Amino acid sequence: MAYFSGLSETLRLTFVQIMIFSAIAIVIFLYGMIGNLQKWGAGVTGYGLEPKNGKGSAIRFLKTWWAQVNEESHIHGKPILEVLILDILFQRRILKRSPLRWFMHLCIFGGWMTLFALSGLMFAVEMTEKIGIELPFTPAEFREWLAIPNYIFGYILLIGVIIAVIRRLFISEVRQATIMYDWILLAGVFIITISGFIADGIRTGFIWGFGLDPSTAPPAALFHSIISLLFCIAYVPYSKYIHVIATPLAILANKGGE
Amino acid sequence: MAKKAPSIDTKNLTAVQLMELDSCTRCGECVKWCPTYAASGQKPGLAPRDKILRWRQFMNKSYGIKAKLFGPTEIPQSELEEFKDDVHGCTTCGICATVCESGINTVELWEAMRANLVKKGIGPYGKQNMFPKVIGQYHNPYMKDQKDRLNWVPPDVKIEDKADIVYFTGCTAGYNQLALAFATSRVLNKLGIKFTMLGEDEWCCGSALIRTGQAHIDDVPRQLAKHNVEAIKKKGATKVLYACAGCFRASKVDWPRLLGEELPFEVIHVSEFLAGLIKEGKIKWVKPINKTVTYHDPCHLGRHVGVFDAPRYVLSHIPGVKFVEMERAKEFQRCCGAGGGVKAGIPDLALGIAESRVKDATATNADILSSCCPFCKRNLSDGRDSLKVDIVVEDVIEMVAEALGLETK
Repeated sequence: MAYFSGLSETLRLTFVQIMIFSAIAIVIFLYGMIGNLQKWGAGVTGYGLEPKNGKGSAIRFLKTWWAQVNEESHIHGKPILEVLILDILFQRRILKRSPLRWFMHLCIFGGWMTLFALSGLMFAVEMTEKIGIELPFTPAEFREWLAIPNYIFGYILLIGVIIAVIRRLFISEVRQATIMYDWILLAGVFIITISGFIADGIRTGFIWGFGLDPSTAPPAALFHSIISLLFCIAYVPYSKYIHVIATPLAILANKGGE
Repeated sequence: MAKKAPSIDTKNLTAVQLMELDSCTRCGECVKWCPTYAASGQKPGLAPRDKILRWRQFMNKSYGIKAKLFGPTEIPQSELEEFKDDVHGCTTCGICATVCESGINTVELWEAMRANLVKKGIGPYGKQNMFPKVIGQYHNPYMKDQKDRLNWVPPDVKIEDKADIVYFTGCTAGYNQLALAFATSRVLNKLGIKFTMLGEDEWCCGSALIRTGQAHIDDVPRQLAKHNVEAIKKKGATKVLYACAGCFRASKVDWPRLLGEELPFEVIHVSEFLAGLIKEGKIKWVKPINKTVTYHDPCHLGRHVGVFDAPRYVLSHIPGVKFVEMERAKEFQRCCGAGGGVKAGIPDLALGIAESRVKDATATNADILSSCCPFCKRNLSDGRDSLKVDIVVEDVIEMVAEALGLETK
């Protein structure tokens, strides 16, 4: 069954739905993110100071963060490029503490981010074609090219998610310390990953299809897309997903940390 | 109807620190390593992760999206009081920052939270509230007369009126732990290092006030820093030596920040200074110390400022010394328990942590547990006495003095 993000004539409704849900997800994300930036911006701009007024300001946060990134560090500072590559992309702070947790997180981070980027790329190709710009390939061909990297990074993500779930469920000290804030994050990642495999499995008839009728492929894909938009975009500012934004910013502000 | 005011404000908490609350991934590394959490019998509220969670919840209740839409949710005073107790039950040792996977600067965060609550009239803890008045009035925390600052100086010690080097004694070494002052001054004399001292113009470094969130009260720490810097400048010094890790940290990190400018002199810990002299071959040892020695990194010297190697270099060059490391050493060292106002505010907790650290030392079969900080020495000695174990607690500079054939009494 040939479809890609519902762009075929017969699945036009799906495309419209996705567009609407994407727009809603982005609006919800932006509202929450501005709220967070304002909440952070309710803080002061330097050591020992008091806020100028009660209202938080996103601009104040950004200025304070930027000033701290550029501030000279007497003790623990590392060059920004080193921090970007080793502490943020390679996540060496986690590696130093726990190789297993590092492997788990890097699988989730690498899988998640790459799939997100590939989806964005696919979307860009579809939209380019949609507005009438001719490309040397069709969206359908492009989608097939992405199939293998999608599988690879999908399985990388799945490995990370499985390790994360097992840790939370079976290591008593981790389980005891887990609160709803943590469970929601994990449940979201788990549902997105599994629903992605199932949607693809139904379409291709591979193992993840569980013998389901191929006609259920579009709603399955729609479910996967919507749940992804919800957790990957809309819900980020309101949940533990915010660490995807806040943690790199904190590491940069503290020049890699101690 | 008037909108409710938030139960907390953001005084002293920087915009970046508020973001750091949301950057915590709750990995639990800080909980594994926190010495106060361990020594308290794993009291949940003392876990760094829990403190971050609670303040994040306070922030969301007061400034989050729900608060923006429907008004802030009130935080009961009892919750804030409980939080105050927990945030003051921290030695600000900084191990949580070292192991934090999100790179959060936790020490600064705890200090900012403390200051925030103190400004709100909640805290500090116990006797800590005496610090601003006492230090502001006496310029030292022991209510001693400033004129007696140099009373400890024995006749054999020669102090210049002006010199390139100032020895900043610190209140604890100058009034209480005189062995440290004797050792430092005699070692410098023996090595032919000309130095001067500030005498009654040496005021407290302000560390106790800053660590306990009381830096803003009557602006005392800034006045102390300003006075000390001026006094050092008057002596014409370009280098200032410290044998106290707390004073060293305050001078190196806090003074420039309080004054808003770089200091016009170099801040050096005596262990760094001695390591330099050893490398230059300028130290001729007189007497071996045939003992097994381990070293406890003071938090304020090690994790806070990054001086880990110099004291080890000095110790390992003393003839006869067999140097052994504890299992937790350098940046992963376990705090002695005295810092962050805990010794003054919650002495039982401080003692419990000290006992853990002494056990770390006795596990190495060392004869001497050395350190580079009078507070560590005091608390580790208390821990040793409480455990009734046979180990000598001695400052590195005292050992250097002994190996140079000098008295420390």
